[in-house]
Amino acid sequence: MKLLFLDAPYNGEVKLCKETLNYLAKKSYKTIGLYASIQFSNNLDKVKKQLKKASVKIITSKAKRTHSKGQILGCDSYHNSLNLPDNKLAEIDCYLYIGDGRFHPLALIYRQKSLAKKNFKEVICNDPIDNQLFLVDFDSVRGITTKYKSSLMKFLTAENIGIINTVKPGQEQLSTSYILEEKYPDKNFYHFLDDNVSFDQLENFPFIEVWVNTACPRIGFDDQEKFAKGIININDAFKAEKILQTIN
Amino acid sequence: MSLYKLELESAIEKIKEEDAKIVCIQLPDGMKPQAKEVADAIKTETNAKVLIWLGTNFGACDIPLGLNRLKVDLLISWGHNFFHKEKGW
Repeated sequence: MKLLFLDAPYNGEVKLCKETLNYLAKKSYKTIGLYASIQFSNNLDKVKKQLKKASVKIITSKAKRTHSKGQILGCDSYHNSLNLPDNKLAEIDCYLYIGDGRFHPLALIYRQKSLAKKNFKEVICNDPIDNQLFLVDFDSVRGITTKYKSSLMKFLTAENIGIINTVKPGQEQLSTSYILEEKYPDKNFYHFLDDNVSFDQLENFPFIEVWVNTACPRIGFDDQEKFAKGIININDAFKAEKILQTIN
Repeated sequence: MSLYKLELESAIEKIKEEDAKIVCIQLPDGMKPQAKEVADAIKTETNAKVLIWLGTNFGACDIPLGLNRLKVDLLISWGHNFFHKEKGW
């Protein structure tokens, strides 16, 4: 079977609204990390011109799972997902996301979850559809990261762990699940398979003390409330003690 | 005018290029109401049968399974581009 992806680019003009330009000026941001969802990322010429006129330097990159420069996915939500060297990351004053909705820009928040407050970079969003500025901040996900911390603690002390794998080829991480099992020989790991994660089935496995997610990395955060026993992402499970010490 | 371009010309060109007999179309939630427009255009412009994926379209990582068994020749997925999977994240 052949496969064709179509970006479905935005039909209107992609530009920064006055509110965004004023906000960048008010905050004296001189260097921004520029990212957009695929509907907007191939049409940023006007945005770049506006930023140049405002003397704002742009830093961007091809994030790890994306196919084009400047694009960001919701799963680019872990610390090194932007593929930028530390010196470039340090140079960025704030991130500017072009697009609608909170799903994509929240990836820029989650990937900073273990940074010291002084190193945390603000995420500014410019929605070209409604021609407005909106902000996403760490406080809006603090409840989630607090619960995530308690899930990490549970993972470290739990004996019976449920690892959720999906059969979707783009997400399946079964071999990595087996490697995690080897890292913690004192725990009992039970490997579960699903296509979409069936949240309503979780309570049918009461012997599981905490879950490990290997599917979309955002499940570990955005769906935290759906896991009464708690859930952590597999990458954090490998270094649970370290993450527990650093996560905000 | 719809918010996002359907790129129907590209879809139809690919169907003809591949001489696809059965095509599955997968749309993100926000574009699902436009499935009729897409299916009708494909049926008018080509001889392909169109199957509309009812389920999720979370991203390029979320490709429907089992389509080969149904002899689907071409899957067209809107709203995403090629996904570079990271082994073990």
